[in-house]
Amino acid sequence: MDAILEYIPKELITTLVTIAVVVGVTLGVISYLILLERKLSAWMQDRRGPNRVGPMGIFQPLADGAKFLLKEEVTPAGADKVLFYAAPGIGFMTTMLAFSVVPFGPVGVEGIPWFVRFLIAPDVNIGIVFIFAITSLSVYGVILGGWASNNKYSALGSLRASAQVISYEIPLGMSILGIALLGSTLDINTLLMQQTGSFWDWYFWTQPLACLIFFTSALAEANRLPFDLSECEQELVGGFHTEYSSMKFALFFLGEYAHVILTSFLTSILFFGGWHFPWIATPESAYTGAWVVKIGVLLFKVGMVIVFIMLLRWTIPRFRFDQLMNLSWKALIPLSLANMVAVMTVLQFGWDRWWLTPISLGLFAVAGLISVAMKRAEIRHRPSAAELAHQFAT
Amino acid sequence: MSESAAQNILFGSLVAGAIGMWLAASQRAAGLRLLGSILASAGLIAAVTTFGNPAGDLTDKILFWMFTGSALLSAVMMVTSRSPVYAALWFALATLGACGLFMMQSAPFLAAATIIVYAGAIIVTFLFVIMLAQQQGRVFYDYRSRTPIMSIVASWLMLAALLWNFQEWQKKAPAADGGPALTAAAASNPFSEPKENSPYGSLRSLGLSLFGDYLYAVEIAGTLLLVAGIGAIAIAPRRAEGTL
Repeated sequence: MDAILEYIPKELITTLVTIAVVVGVTLGVISYLILLERKLSAWMQDRRGPNRVGPMGIFQPLADGAKFLLKEEVTPAGADKVLFYAAPGIGFMTTMLAFSVVPFGPVGVEGIPWFVRFLIAPDVNIGIVFIFAITSLSVYGVILGGWASNNKYSALGSLRASAQVISYEIPLGMSILGIALLGSTLDINTLLMQQTGSFWDWYFWTQPLACLIFFTSALAEANRLPFDLSECEQELVGGFHTEYSSMKFALFFLGEYAHVILTSFLTSILFFGGWHFPWIATPESAYTGAWVVKIGVLLFKVGMVIVFIMLLRWTIPRFRFDQLMNLSWKALIPLSLANMVAVMTVLQFGWDRWWLTPISLGLFAVAGLISVAMKRAEIRHRPSAAELAHQFAT
Repeated sequence: MSESAAQNILFGSLVAGAIGMWLAASQRAAGLRLLGSILASAGLIAAVTTFGNPAGDLTDKILFWMFTGSALLSAVMMVTSRSPVYAALWFALATLGACGLFMMQSAPFLAAATIIVYAGAIIVTFLFVIMLAQQQGRVFYDYRSRTPIMSIVASWLMLAALLWNFQEWQKKAPAADGGPALTAAAASNPFSEPKENSPYGSLRSLGLSLFGDYLYAVEIAGTLLLVAGIGAIAIAPRRAEGTL
């Protein structure tokens, strides 16, 4: 065995093992997250949810998977076949590629077997930018899927969905800049390690506004409620994926769910300290199996964020498209710019970092006051019914 | 090989390539166009082969040829494909190939930024326009070049200038491993000058370089973009209140 191992670089084996584990676990977890989501939504709406297949419905994901595989493949007449088949794959693949720079546990600790590593691609010093770059390609899946379907409604739906995704990329990227400036790096693992000093080192405390903007835009990027305009099931009959059936349809949704998991990982690593938790998992904790506990802490945080996203789904009503665009261009982008300016000011003049918390809250309050004042002014100057009738008559 | 001979080969092959492309792009018989494509490819390959193989170990070489091959193939497919949507997609793939090359040159940030800006934003906007403007798919003016001569002269002049610069660098500072090395003098311009031995590859050094060595260029480019942005808003047609 050792003789063979000498000829195969250890790095290669480690990478292959890590990729296999990450892809396998992510895909398995996604199917059970869908079950959890259905159970949670049933609980929130006071109904039972899936409970027919297996005890408590735990075999429901298997049944769903079998159904996706066995359903009829429909390809619309006149569709561009190559792009029609490629689109779901592009959407799914780009999201999975982004996982290559996300640390799944404590990176670079002693006492774990050589073939275990919690990061597929270590030493990428542009981690976050890489993720944004790769996930910005997932818009191709949406736009090509809609266009290749040879269906006007799908094409319009895809334009609408991609407009949303492209608009929310800007606040998503800019909200991270504050953290990047504070930590003076873009490497995700370094940013995580900077938060492992104490509970108050988590970036959430100094950057609450950035956390809110990041989380909101990431929800919109993943097409989750309240931003699921691209596929709002109750009113649109599908949008860009109207013509997709069976496994191709499932791939779109696997990509979407992988995006939710990615978002949750990034939120908990960038803002909530990753695997760090006071007294339980710190860089100094040296008890046996500390690395397992650290992974557990990280996965617990990720799970909490995912459940929060699911609860949001049945709490906040869906946005209208103009509200969605207004939120991105008139609220989130200026706010994230102001947040960045605040961080730059604090760093330039060497003020205490804790000034950022009241500044963030103040910015949020000012934005709220402005929007309320604008809405009131709009209501006050709204033309009366008689004026409107006159306007349309002429 | 003497210096002038190397230069003659370089420029000869470039001229041959330009003539070949002109033949291929104009409205002529199919045989002439085929001959033109062959001549253009031969000229390009001859021009590039005057520079020798890339340095590095086997993995580097495999990656280099993979990225170069995919970028070149996608570029050729982009200019030759008849459907504008496919052309835009090949453009995106060519960008990705070029980004792979940036990665190999220890410029990961440049690679990521290029993907975000070009593949993620600009080409998607192209796709928007194509999909909204040409719902029938193919329009005749998309697969016929109207004024090939100007674009051919411009592009091949640019290629010639680039390759001539590479040749100059190779002559001035042959690196230990045979690859071309960039000297400070070769890259200098009236406003900006890179420092010798500055660390490369990290984000920090990129920031220091952009806002230190190349401050004037960056500021001038930023001002230009700002002016262009204001100009675009100024010349955009105004509509009545409340209409789309």
